[in-house]
Amino acid sequence: MMKFTSSRYLVKEGLKNIWNNRMMSLASIVVLVSCLVITGAAVLISANVNSLISTIGDDNQINVYLDYQISDIDAIRLGPEIKKIPNVDECEFYSKDEGIKEFKDKIGNDIYQSMQGDENPLGHVYKVRLKDLSKYSSTIEAIKKIDGVVNISDRAAIARTLTKLNYFVAIAGFWIVLILGVVTLFIISNTIKMTMYSRRFEISIMKSVGATNTFVRIPFIIEAMTIGLVAGILSSIALICIYDPVRESAGSMMSMIASSTIPLEDLWLRILLAFSGAGVLIGALGGFISITKYLRKEGGEILGW
Amino acid sequence: MIHLENVSKVYPNGTEALKNITLDIEQGEFVFIVGPSGAGKSTFLKLLIHEETATFGKIKVSGYDLMKIKQRKVPYLRRTMGIVFQDFRLIDKMNVYDNIAFAMRAIGAHERDIKKRVRFVIDMVGLNGKEKCRPNELSGGEQQRVSLARALVNNPEMLIADEPTGNIDPKMSFDIMKKLVEINNRGTTIIVVTHEHELVKEFGGRVIIINGGEIELDKTLPTKYHPMKKIDDTDGNDEETE
Repeated sequence: MMKFTSSRYLVKEGLKNIWNNRMMSLASIVVLVSCLVITGAAVLISANVNSLISTIGDDNQINVYLDYQISDIDAIRLGPEIKKIPNVDECEFYSKDEGIKEFKDKIGNDIYQSMQGDENPLGHVYKVRLKDLSKYSSTIEAIKKIDGVVNISDRAAIARTLTKLNYFVAIAGFWIVLILGVVTLFIISNTIKMTMYSRRFEISIMKSVGATNTFVRIPFIIEAMTIGLVAGILSSIALICIYDPVRESAGSMMSMIASSTIPLEDLWLRILLAFSGAGVLIGALGGFISITKYLRKEGGEILGW
Repeated sequence: MIHLENVSKVYPNGTEALKNITLDIEQGEFVFIVGPSGAGKSTFLKLLIHEETATFGKIKVSGYDLMKIKQRKVPYLRRTMGIVFQDFRLIDKMNVYDNIAFAMRAIGAHERDIKKRVRFVIDMVGLNGKEKCRPNELSGGEQQRVSLARALVNNPEMLIADEPTGNIDPKMSFDIMKKLVEINNRGTTIIVVTHEHELVKEFGGRVIIINGGEIELDKTLPTKYHPMKKIDDTDGNDEETE
Protein backbone atom coordinates (compact mmCIF):
# COMPACT_ATOMS: atom_id res chain seq x y z
CA MET A 1 0.00 0.00 0.00
CA MET A 2 1.45 3.33 -1.11
CA LYS A 3 1.87 5.74 1.79
CA PHE A 4 0.42 9.24 1.67
CA THR A 5 3.89 10.86 1.84
CA SER A 6 5.04 8.67 -1.06
CA SER A 7 1.97 9.57 -3.11
CA ARG A 8 2.57 13.26 -2.47
CA TYR A 9 6.22 12.88 -3.48
CA LEU A 10 5.32 10.98 -6.65
CA VAL A 11 2.65 13.49 -7.71
CA LYS A 12 5.12 16.33 -7.08
CA GLU A 13 7.76 14.57 -9.17
CA GLY A 14 5.27 14.02 -12.00
CA LEU A 15 4.29 17.70 -12.07
CA LYS A 16 7.95 18.72 -11.80
CA ASN A 17 8.66 16.58 -14.90
CA ILE A 18 6.12 18.61 -16.88
CA TRP A 19 7.78 21.87 -15.87
CA ASN A 20 11.33 20.61 -16.46
CA ASN A 21 10.30 19.36 -19.89
CA ARG A 22 7.93 22.26 -20.56
CA MET A 23 8.57 22.83 -24.26
CA MET A 24 7.92 19.19 -25.13
CA SER A 25 4.92 19.11 -22.77
CA LEU A 26 3.50 22.22 -24.45
CA ALA A 27 4.04 20.73 -27.91
CA SER A 28 2.27 17.52 -26.84
CA ILE A 29 -0.64 19.48 -25.40
CA VAL A 30 -1.01 21.48 -28.66
CA VAL A 31 -0.95 18.34 -30.83
CA LEU A 32 -3.28 16.52 -28.46
CA VAL A 33 -5.74 19.43 -28.43
CA SER A 34 -5.77 19.46 -32.26
CA CYS A 35 -6.37 15.70 -32.38
CA LEU A 36 -9.09 15.81 -29.73
CA VAL A 37 -10.87 18.79 -31.37
CA ILE A 38 -10.98 17.01 -34.75
CA THR A 39 -12.16 13.79 -33.12
CA GLY A 40 -14.74 15.66 -31.05
CA ALA A 41 -15.99 17.57 -34.09
CA ALA A 42 -16.55 14.29 -35.94
CA VAL A 43 -18.47 12.86 -32.99
CA LEU A 44 -20.59 16.02 -32.59
CA ILE A 45 -21.42 16.18 -36.31
CA SER A 46 -22.51 12.56 -36.20
CA ALA A 47 -24.64 13.11 -33.08
CA ASN A 48 -26.33 16.15 -34.62
CA VAL A 49 -27.01 14.49 -37.96
CA ASN A 50 -28.60 11.63 -36.03
CA SER A 51 -30.76 14.07 -34.14
CA LEU A 52 -31.74 15.76 -37.41
CA ILE A 53 -32.66 12.43 -39.00
CA SER A 54 -34.82 11.43 -36.08
CA THR A 55 -36.59 14.81 -36.13
CA ILE A 56 -37.29 14.46 -39.84
CA GLY A 57 -38.39 10.89 -39.35
CA ASP A 58 -40.79 11.93 -36.60
CA ASP A 59 -42.24 14.76 -38.63
CA ASN A 60 -45.27 13.54 -40.58
CA GLN A 61 -46.03 16.86 -42.26
CA ILE A 62 -45.44 17.41 -45.97
CA ASN A 63 -45.85 20.46 -48.20
CA VAL A 64 -47.93 20.03 -51.37
CA TYR A 65 -47.03 22.72 -53.92
CA LEU A 66 -49.70 23.69 -56.44
CA ASP A 67 -49.30 24.92 -59.98
CA TYR A 68 -48.25 28.56 -60.11
CA GLN A 69 -50.93 29.39 -62.63
CA ILE A 70 -53.84 27.81 -60.81
CA SER A 71 -56.52 30.27 -59.67
CA ASP A 72 -57.26 30.91 -55.99
CA ILE A 73 -60.70 29.24 -56.28
CA ASP A 74 -59.31 26.14 -57.99
CA ALA A 75 -56.59 25.93 -55.39
CA ILE A 76 -59.15 26.00 -52.55
CA ARG A 77 -61.20 23.34 -54.34
CA LEU A 78 -58.27 20.96 -54.30
CA GLY A 79 -58.39 20.91 -50.47
CA PRO A 80 -61.29 18.41 -50.10
CA GLU A 81 -59.78 16.27 -52.85
CA ILE A 82 -56.54 15.92 -50.92
CA LYS A 83 -58.46 15.31 -47.68
CA LYS A 84 -60.28 12.39 -49.37
CA ILE A 85 -57.07 10.39 -49.61
CA PRO A 86 -57.29 7.81 -46.76
CA ASN A 87 -53.96 8.46 -45.05
CA VAL A 88 -54.35 12.26 -44.91
CA ASP A 89 -55.14 13.48 -41.39
CA GLU A 90 -55.15 17.28 -41.77
CA CYS A 91 -54.92 19.54 -44.77
CA GLU A 92 -54.28 23.24 -44.24
CA PHE A 93 -54.29 25.82 -47.03
CA TYR A 94 -51.37 28.18 -47.13
CA SER A 95 -51.85 30.91 -49.72
CA LYS A 96 -49.13 32.34 -51.90
CA ASP A 97 -49.74 35.74 -50.23
CA GLU A 98 -48.90 34.23 -46.87
CA GLY A 99 -45.89 32.59 -48.49
CA ILE A 100 -44.40 35.82 -49.84
CA LYS A 101 -45.11 37.54 -46.54
CA GLU A 102 -42.62 35.19 -44.90
CA PHE A 103 -39.89 36.57 -47.15
CA LYS A 104 -40.77 40.21 -46.46
CA ASP A 105 -37.89 40.75 -44.02
CA LYS A 106 -35.35 39.12 -46.28
CA ILE A 107 -36.29 40.76 -49.59
CA GLY A 108 -37.15 44.23 -48.24
CA ASN A 109 -40.39 46.15 -48.34
CA ASP A 110 -39.96 47.57 -51.87
CA ILE A 111 -39.48 44.19 -53.54
CA TYR A 112 -42.20 42.74 -51.33
CA GLN A 113 -44.64 45.39 -52.50
CA SER A 114 -43.72 44.76 -56.13
CA MET A 115 -44.49 41.05 -55.71
CA GLN A 116 -48.11 41.40 -54.75
CA GLY A 117 -51.03 39.86 -56.66
CA ASP A 118 -50.18 38.43 -60.09
CA GLU A 119 -46.53 39.42 -59.65
CA ASN A 120 -46.17 36.93 -56.78
CA PRO A 121 -43.78 34.23 -58.05
CA LEU A 122 -44.89 31.66 -55.47
CA GLY A 123 -47.64 29.14 -55.78
CA HIS A 124 -50.27 28.05 -53.22
CA VAL A 125 -49.32 25.31 -50.80
CA TYR A 126 -51.22 22.73 -48.74
CA LYS A 127 -49.63 21.66 -45.48
CA VAL A 128 -50.68 18.04 -45.15
CA ARG A 129 -50.28 15.90 -42.01
CA LEU A 130 -50.28 12.14 -42.52
CA LYS A 131 -51.86 9.56 -40.24
CA ASP A 132 -49.38 6.74 -40.81
CA LEU A 133 -45.80 7.36 -41.92
CA SER A 134 -45.34 3.78 -43.12
CA LYS A 135 -47.79 4.56 -45.94
CA TYR A 136 -45.76 7.64 -46.84
CA SER A 137 -44.86 6.61 -50.43
CA SER A 138 -48.36 5.46 -51.47
CA THR A 139 -49.94 8.64 -50.04
CA ILE A 140 -47.40 10.82 -51.90
CA GLU A 141 -48.19 8.97 -55.12
CA ALA A 142 -51.93 9.52 -54.61
CA ILE A 143 -51.47 13.25 -53.96
CA LYS A 144 -49.22 13.62 -57.00
CA LYS A 145 -52.00 12.24 -59.21
CA ILE A 146 -54.30 15.15 -58.34
CA ASP A 147 -54.48 17.65 -61.17
CA GLY A 148 -52.84 20.97 -60.20
CA VAL A 149 -50.27 19.47 -57.82
CA VAL A 150 -46.76 20.12 -59.15
CA ASN A 151 -44.46 19.10 -56.33
CA ILE A 152 -44.30 17.61 -52.86
CA SER A 153 -41.59 18.27 -50.30
CA ASP A 154 -40.15 14.82 -50.06
CA ARG A 155 -38.70 14.64 -46.56
CA ALA A 156 -37.98 10.95 -46.94
CA ALA A 157 -35.42 11.87 -49.57
CA ILE A 158 -33.82 14.34 -47.16
CA ALA A 159 -33.83 11.66 -44.47
CA ARG A 160 -32.24 9.19 -46.90
CA THR A 161 -29.54 11.71 -47.82
CA LEU A 162 -28.88 12.52 -44.18
CA THR A 163 -28.70 8.82 -43.32
CA LYS A 164 -26.10 8.38 -46.05
CA LEU A 165 -24.26 11.43 -44.74
CA ASN A 166 -24.40 10.08 -41.21
CA TYR A 167 -23.05 6.74 -42.37
CA PHE A 168 -20.20 8.56 -44.05
CA VAL A 169 -19.58 10.71 -40.95
CA ALA A 170 -19.64 7.61 -38.74
CA ILE A 171 -17.13 5.75 -40.95
CA ALA A 172 -14.92 8.83 -41.31
CA GLY A 173 -15.29 9.49 -37.57
CA PHE A 174 -14.22 5.95 -36.74
CA TRP A 175 -11.05 6.27 -38.81
CA ILE A 176 -10.38 9.76 -37.50
CA VAL A 177 -10.71 8.52 -33.90
CA LEU A 178 -8.53 5.49 -34.65
CA ILE A 179 -5.77 7.34 -36.53
CA LEU A 180 -5.70 10.34 -34.23
CA GLY A 181 -5.85 8.01 -31.23
CA VAL A 182 -2.69 6.29 -32.43
CA VAL A 183 -1.09 9.69 -33.20
CA THR A 184 -1.90 11.02 -29.72
CA LEU A 185 -0.59 7.85 -28.08
CA PHE A 186 2.60 8.20 -30.10
CA ILE A 187 2.98 11.88 -29.15
CA ILE A 188 2.40 11.25 -25.44
CA SER A 189 4.68 8.23 -25.29
CA ASN A 190 7.41 10.20 -27.09
CA THR A 191 7.11 13.04 -24.60
CA ILE A 192 7.44 10.57 -21.76
CA LYS A 193 10.43 8.94 -23.49
CA MET A 194 12.08 12.37 -23.68
CA THR A 195 11.46 12.94 -19.97
CA MET A 196 12.77 9.50 -19.16
CA TYR A 197 15.86 10.11 -21.25
CA SER A 198 16.53 13.38 -19.45
CA ARG A 199 16.02 11.59 -16.12
CA ARG A 200 17.82 8.36 -17.04
CA PHE A 201 20.49 9.05 -14.47
CA GLU A 202 17.93 9.34 -11.69
CA ILE A 203 16.11 6.23 -12.93
CA SER A 204 19.34 4.19 -12.86
CA ILE A 205 20.07 5.39 -9.31
CA MET A 206 16.50 4.66 -8.22
CA LYS A 207 16.78 1.13 -9.58
CA SER A 208 20.17 0.58 -7.99
CA VAL A 209 18.89 1.55 -4.53
CA GLY A 210 15.89 -0.76 -4.82
CA ALA A 211 13.00 1.40 -6.04
CA THR A 212 10.20 -0.80 -7.33
CA ASN A 213 9.19 -0.43 -10.98
CA THR A 214 5.82 0.92 -9.84
CA PHE A 215 7.54 3.64 -7.84
CA VAL A 216 9.75 4.61 -10.79
CA ARG A 217 6.81 4.49 -13.18
CA ILE A 218 4.22 6.55 -11.28
CA PRO A 219 5.69 10.09 -11.78
CA PHE A 220 5.88 9.49 -15.54
CA ILE A 221 2.31 8.22 -15.68
CA ILE A 222 1.18 11.23 -13.63
CA GLU A 223 3.03 13.49 -16.07
CA ALA A 224 1.34 11.84 -19.08
CA MET A 225 -2.09 11.87 -17.43
CA THR A 226 -1.74 15.55 -16.53
CA ILE A 227 -0.76 16.42 -20.11
CA GLY A 228 -3.78 14.40 -21.30
CA LEU A 229 -6.10 16.07 -18.78
CA VAL A 230 -4.95 19.60 -19.70
CA ALA A 231 -5.32 18.79 -23.41
CA GLY A 232 -8.77 17.28 -22.74
CA ILE A 233 -9.98 20.35 -20.85
CA LEU A 234 -8.57 22.79 -23.44
CA SER A 235 -10.04 20.89 -26.38
CA SER A 236 -13.46 20.67 -24.72
CA ILE A 237 -13.37 24.43 -24.03
CA ALA A 238 -12.45 25.00 -27.70
CA LEU A 239 -15.33 22.80 -28.89
CA ILE A 240 -17.80 24.37 -26.47
CA CYS A 241 -16.77 27.83 -27.73
CA ILE A 242 -17.16 27.00 -31.43
CA TYR A 243 -20.22 24.76 -31.12
CA ASP A 244 -22.92 27.42 -30.80
CA PRO A 245 -21.59 29.80 -33.49
CA VAL A 246 -21.33 26.90 -35.97
CA ARG A 247 -24.82 25.67 -35.03
CA GLU A 248 -26.26 29.17 -35.40
CA SER A 249 -24.70 29.77 -38.79
CA ALA A 250 -25.88 26.35 -40.01
CA GLY A 251 -29.33 27.15 -38.57
CA SER A 252 -29.49 30.43 -40.50
CA MET A 253 -29.09 28.45 -43.71
CA MET A 254 -31.74 25.89 -42.83
CA SER A 255 -34.24 26.54 -40.07
CA MET A 256 -34.68 22.83 -39.44
CA ILE A 257 -31.03 22.57 -38.33
CA ALA A 258 -31.53 25.22 -35.66
CA SER A 259 -34.50 23.40 -34.21
CA SER A 260 -33.35 19.82 -34.63
CA THR A 261 -29.71 19.88 -33.49
CA ILE A 262 -28.63 19.32 -29.90
CA PRO A 263 -28.42 22.51 -27.80
CA LEU A 264 -25.12 23.29 -26.05
CA GLU A 265 -26.75 23.23 -22.60
CA ASP A 266 -27.37 19.49 -23.06
CA LEU A 267 -23.84 18.86 -24.24
CA TRP A 268 -21.16 20.92 -22.53
CA LEU A 269 -20.82 18.84 -19.38
CA ARG A 270 -20.73 15.62 -21.39
CA ILE A 271 -18.09 17.11 -23.71
CA LEU A 272 -15.97 18.26 -20.77
CA LEU A 273 -16.17 14.92 -18.95
CA ALA A 274 -15.65 12.80 -22.05
CA PHE A 275 -12.67 14.83 -23.26
CA SER A 276 -11.02 15.06 -19.86
CA GLY A 277 -11.54 11.32 -19.40
CA ALA A 278 -10.21 10.54 -22.87
CA GLY A 279 -7.17 12.76 -22.27
CA VAL A 280 -6.37 11.10 -18.95
CA LEU A 281 -6.88 7.63 -20.42
CA ILE A 282 -4.70 8.27 -23.48
CA GLY A 283 -2.08 9.84 -21.19
CA ALA A 284 -2.05 6.88 -18.81
CA LEU A 285 -1.82 4.39 -21.67
CA GLY A 286 0.90 6.32 -23.54
CA GLY A 287 2.92 6.79 -20.36
CA PHE A 288 2.53 3.17 -19.33
CA ILE A 289 3.63 1.82 -22.72
CA SER A 290 6.81 3.88 -22.91
CA ILE A 291 7.95 3.51 -19.31
CA THR A 292 7.29 -0.24 -19.20
CA LYS A 293 9.59 -0.74 -22.18
CA TYR A 294 12.24 1.45 -20.58
CA LEU A 295 12.08 -0.23 -17.19
CA ARG A 296 13.18 -3.54 -18.67
CA LYS A 297 16.63 -1.97 -19.07
CA GLU A 298 19.24 -2.37 -16.37
CA GLY A 299 22.23 -0.37 -15.13
CA GLY A 300 24.38 0.92 -18.00
CA GLU A 301 21.63 0.19 -20.54
CA ILE A 302 19.48 2.87 -18.86
CA LEU A 303 22.30 5.37 -19.23
CA GLY A 304 22.88 4.30 -22.82
CA TRP A 305 26.35 2.87 -22.13
CA MET B 1 25.74 -13.77 2.82
CA ILE B 2 27.06 -14.33 -0.73
CA HIS B 3 27.39 -17.81 -2.14
CA LEU B 4 28.51 -18.58 -5.69
CA GLU B 5 28.81 -22.16 -6.84
CA ASN B 6 30.25 -23.09 -10.25
CA VAL B 7 29.01 -19.83 -11.71
CA SER B 8 29.67 -19.08 -15.38
CA LYS B 9 28.51 -16.18 -17.46
CA VAL B 10 28.49 -16.31 -21.23
CA TYR B 11 27.26 -13.20 -23.06
CA PRO B 12 25.10 -13.55 -26.20
CA ASN B 13 28.12 -12.63 -28.37
CA GLY B 14 29.90 -15.71 -27.01
CA THR B 15 32.24 -13.94 -24.57
CA GLU B 16 32.80 -16.12 -21.52
CA ALA B 17 33.16 -13.46 -18.81
CA LEU B 18 33.19 -15.78 -15.80
CA LYS B 19 34.21 -19.45 -15.71
CA ASN B 20 33.12 -21.79 -13.01
CA ILE B 21 33.47 -19.38 -10.08
CA THR B 22 32.89 -20.72 -6.57
CA LEU B 23 33.21 -18.53 -3.50
CA ASP B 24 31.54 -17.48 -0.26
CA ILE B 25 31.58 -14.07 1.40
CA GLU B 26 30.39 -13.92 4.98
CA GLN B 27 28.53 -11.13 6.77
CA GLY B 28 30.95 -8.44 7.99
CA GLU B 29 33.85 -9.36 5.68
CA PHE B 30 36.00 -6.77 3.90
CA VAL B 31 36.88 -8.10 0.44
CA PHE B 32 38.97 -6.67 -2.37
CA ILE B 33 38.20 -7.92 -5.87
CA VAL B 34 41.25 -7.27 -7.97
CA GLY B 35 42.06 -7.93 -11.61
CA PRO B 36 42.99 -6.32 -14.91
CA SER B 37 40.46 -4.74 -17.28
CA GLY B 38 38.22 -7.34 -18.91
CA ALA B 39 39.02 -9.90 -16.20
CA GLY B 40 35.35 -10.34 -15.27
CA LYS B 41 35.18 -8.04 -12.20
CA SER B 42 32.28 -5.97 -13.56
CA THR B 43 30.36 -9.06 -14.59
CA PHE B 44 30.87 -10.42 -11.08
CA LEU B 45 29.34 -7.25 -9.60
CA LYS B 46 26.49 -7.24 -12.14
CA LEU B 47 25.62 -10.79 -11.10
CA LEU B 48 25.54 -9.77 -7.43
CA ILE B 49 23.15 -6.87 -8.04
CA HIS B 50 21.20 -8.93 -10.59
CA GLU B 51 21.80 -6.63 -13.52
CA GLU B 52 22.92 -9.81 -15.28
CA THR B 53 21.90 -13.42 -14.75
CA ALA B 54 24.44 -16.24 -14.60
CA THR B 55 24.38 -18.72 -17.46
CA PHE B 56 25.22 -21.67 -15.18
CA GLY B 57 25.68 -22.30 -11.49
CA LYS B 58 24.08 -21.14 -8.25
CA ILE B 59 24.11 -17.65 -6.73
CA LYS B 60 22.64 -16.70 -3.37
CA VAL B 61 22.83 -13.13 -2.05
CA SER B 62 21.29 -11.99 1.25
CA GLY B 63 19.02 -15.02 1.25
CA TYR B 64 17.77 -14.51 -2.33
CA ASP B 65 18.38 -17.26 -4.88
CA LEU B 66 19.35 -15.16 -7.89
CA MET B 67 18.83 -18.02 -10.34
CA LYS B 68 15.16 -18.18 -9.36
CA ILE B 69 14.39 -14.66 -8.13
CA LYS B 70 11.21 -13.07 -9.50
CA GLN B 71 11.61 -9.68 -11.18
CA ARG B 72 9.36 -8.00 -8.62
CA LYS B 73 11.66 -9.19 -5.80
CA VAL B 74 14.81 -7.66 -7.33
CA PRO B 75 14.24 -4.19 -5.76
CA TYR B 76 14.10 -5.83 -2.33
CA LEU B 77 17.37 -7.66 -3.02
CA ARG B 78 18.95 -4.32 -3.97
CA ARG B 79 17.76 -2.72 -0.76
CA THR B 80 20.12 -5.06 1.09
CA MET B 81 23.10 -3.47 -0.67
CA GLY B 82 24.56 -0.03 -1.29
CA ILE B 83 26.54 0.69 -4.44
CA VAL B 84 29.35 3.20 -4.86
CA PHE B 85 30.34 3.96 -8.45
CA GLN B 86 33.70 5.10 -9.78
CA ASP B 87 32.05 8.11 -11.50
CA PHE B 88 30.02 8.98 -8.34
CA ARG B 89 26.72 9.24 -10.32
CA LEU B 90 25.48 12.27 -8.42
CA ILE B 91 22.58 14.34 -9.71
CA ASP B 92 23.96 17.77 -10.63
CA LYS B 93 20.78 19.73 -10.01
CA MET B 94 20.41 18.39 -6.46
CA ASN B 95 22.45 19.49 -3.47
CA VAL B 96 24.31 17.07 -1.21
CA TYR B 97 21.36 16.59 1.13
CA ASP B 98 18.91 15.85 -1.70
CA ASN B 99 21.33 13.54 -3.50
CA ILE B 100 21.55 11.42 -0.39
CA ALA B 101 17.85 11.74 0.51
CA PHE B 102 16.96 10.70 -3.06
CA ALA B 103 17.96 7.10 -2.30
CA MET B 104 15.49 7.02 0.61
CA ARG B 105 12.73 8.83 -1.26
CA ALA B 106 13.12 6.30 -4.09
CA ILE B 107 12.03 3.54 -1.75
CA GLY B 108 9.18 5.56 -0.27
CA ALA B 109 10.69 6.42 3.11
CA HIS B 110 8.94 8.92 5.36
CA GLU B 111 10.32 12.49 5.21
CA ARG B 112 10.83 12.51 8.99
CA ASP B 113 13.01 9.36 8.81
CA ILE B 114 14.85 10.76 5.79
CA LYS B 115 15.82 13.92 7.67
CA LYS B 116 17.13 11.95 10.63
CA ARG B 117 19.01 9.33 8.64
CA VAL B 118 20.54 11.72 6.07
CA ARG B 119 21.96 13.90 8.85
CA PHE B 120 23.42 10.79 10.43
CA VAL B 121 25.20 9.58 7.28
CA ILE B 122 26.39 13.10 6.39
CA ASP B 123 28.04 13.20 9.79
CA MET B 124 29.37 9.67 9.30
CA VAL B 125 31.18 10.50 6.05
CA GLY B 126 32.38 13.87 7.36
CA LEU B 127 30.40 16.20 5.11
CA ASN B 128 28.92 18.43 7.81
CA GLY B 129 28.38 21.96 6.51
CA LYS B 130 28.30 20.81 2.88
CA GLU B 131 24.62 19.85 2.82
CA LYS B 132 23.57 22.67 0.53
CA CYS B 133 26.50 22.38 -1.89
CA ARG B 134 25.91 21.14 -5.42
CA PRO B 135 28.17 18.30 -6.66
CA ASN B 136 30.11 20.69 -8.93
CA GLU B 137 31.09 22.73 -5.86
CA LEU B 138 32.80 19.72 -4.28
CA SER B 139 36.17 18.06 -4.78
CA GLY B 140 36.36 14.53 -6.24
CA GLY B 141 36.92 13.05 -2.79
CA GLU B 142 33.93 14.92 -1.36
CA GLN B 143 31.75 13.80 -4.27
CA GLN B 144 32.76 10.21 -3.62
CA ARG B 145 31.84 10.68 0.04
CA VAL B 146 28.39 11.89 -1.04
CA SER B 147 28.11 8.78 -3.18
CA LEU B 148 29.19 6.70 -0.18
CA ALA B 149 26.62 8.42 2.05
CA ARG B 150 23.90 7.73 -0.53
CA ALA B 151 24.90 4.05 -0.63
CA LEU B 152 24.74 3.89 3.16
CA VAL B 153 21.59 5.87 3.79
CA ASN B 154 19.24 2.90 3.45
CA ASN B 155 21.34 1.02 6.00
CA PRO B 156 22.36 -1.85 3.68
CA GLU B 157 23.80 -5.16 4.84
CA MET B 158 26.57 -4.89 2.28
CA LEU B 159 28.32 -2.16 0.37
CA ILE B 160 29.69 -2.72 -3.11
CA ALA B 161 32.23 -0.17 -4.28
CA ASP B 162 33.17 -0.33 -7.95
CA GLU B 163 36.59 1.35 -8.33
CA PRO B 164 35.69 3.91 -5.63
CA THR B 165 39.10 5.58 -5.82
CA GLY B 166 39.42 5.53 -9.60
CA ASN B 167 38.64 9.22 -10.07
CA ILE B 168 40.28 10.77 -7.01
CA ASP B 169 43.81 11.63 -5.90
CA PRO B 170 45.86 9.26 -3.67
CA LYS B 171 45.27 11.16 -0.41
CA MET B 172 41.51 11.26 -0.99
CA SER B 173 41.63 7.58 -1.98
CA PHE B 174 43.21 6.76 1.34
CA ASP B 175 40.50 8.76 3.18
CA ILE B 176 37.73 6.97 1.29
CA MET B 177 39.26 3.57 2.08
CA LYS B 178 39.49 4.51 5.74
CA LYS B 179 35.81 5.43 5.68
CA LEU B 180 35.00 2.05 4.14
CA VAL B 181 36.94 0.31 6.89
CA GLU B 182 35.04 2.34 9.49
CA ILE B 183 31.76 1.29 7.91
CA ASN B 184 32.93 -2.31 7.84
CA ASN B 185 33.64 -2.08 11.53
CA ARG B 186 29.99 -1.22 12.08
CA GLY B 187 29.11 -4.64 10.67
CA THR B 188 28.50 -3.86 6.99
CA THR B 189 30.03 -6.27 4.48
CA ILE B 190 32.30 -4.38 2.08
CA ILE B 191 33.25 -5.51 -1.41
CA VAL B 192 35.71 -3.22 -3.16
CA VAL B 193 36.55 -3.70 -6.80
CA THR B 194 39.86 -2.03 -7.58
CA HIS B 195 43.01 -2.29 -9.63
CA GLU B 196 45.02 -0.13 -7.21
CA HIS B 197 47.45 -2.63 -5.70
CA GLU B 198 48.93 -0.06 -3.32
CA LEU B 199 45.57 0.34 -1.58
CA VAL B 200 45.13 -3.42 -1.40
CA LYS B 201 48.58 -3.81 0.18
CA GLU B 202 47.92 -0.98 2.62
CA PHE B 203 44.49 -2.10 3.78
CA GLY B 204 44.84 -5.85 3.33
CA GLY B 205 42.07 -8.22 4.36
CA ARG B 206 40.60 -10.77 1.96
CA VAL B 207 41.79 -10.35 -1.61
CA ILE B 208 40.23 -12.18 -4.55
CA ILE B 209 42.11 -11.86 -7.82
CA ILE B 210 40.03 -12.54 -10.93
CA ASN B 211 41.80 -13.05 -14.23
CA GLY B 212 40.37 -14.31 -17.50
CA GLY B 213 37.04 -14.97 -15.80
CA GLU B 214 38.56 -17.28 -13.20
CA ILE B 215 39.61 -16.86 -9.58
CA GLU B 216 43.38 -16.74 -9.66
CA LEU B 217 43.87 -16.13 -5.94
CA ASP B 218 41.66 -15.94 -2.86
CA LYS B 219 43.79 -15.03 0.12
CA THR B 220 43.59 -13.03 3.35
CA LEU B 221 46.46 -10.56 3.70
CA PRO B 222 47.69 -9.24 7.03
CA THR B 223 46.27 -5.87 7.93
CA LYS B 224 46.60 -3.19 10.54
CA TYR B 225 43.00 -2.10 10.01
CA HIS B 226 41.02 -5.36 10.43
CA PRO B 227 39.35 -6.49 12.50
CA MET B 228 38.32 -3.45 14.50
CA LYS B 229 35.95 -3.15 17.38
CA LYS B 230 32.30 -3.30 16.43
CA ILE B 231 30.30 -0.10 16.92
CA ASP B 232 26.53 -0.43 17.15
CA ASP B 233 24.76 1.45 14.43
CA THR B 234 21.60 2.25 16.31
CA ASP B 235 20.91 5.74 15.04
CA GLY B 236 18.75 6.71 12.13
CA ASN B 237 17.59 3.26 11.05
CA ASP B 238 14.56 3.62 8.83
CA GLU B 239 11.69 1.24 8.59
CA GLU B 240 11.36 -1.10 5.61
CA THR B 241 9.43 0.79 3.02
CA GLU B 242 8.26 0.54 -0.52
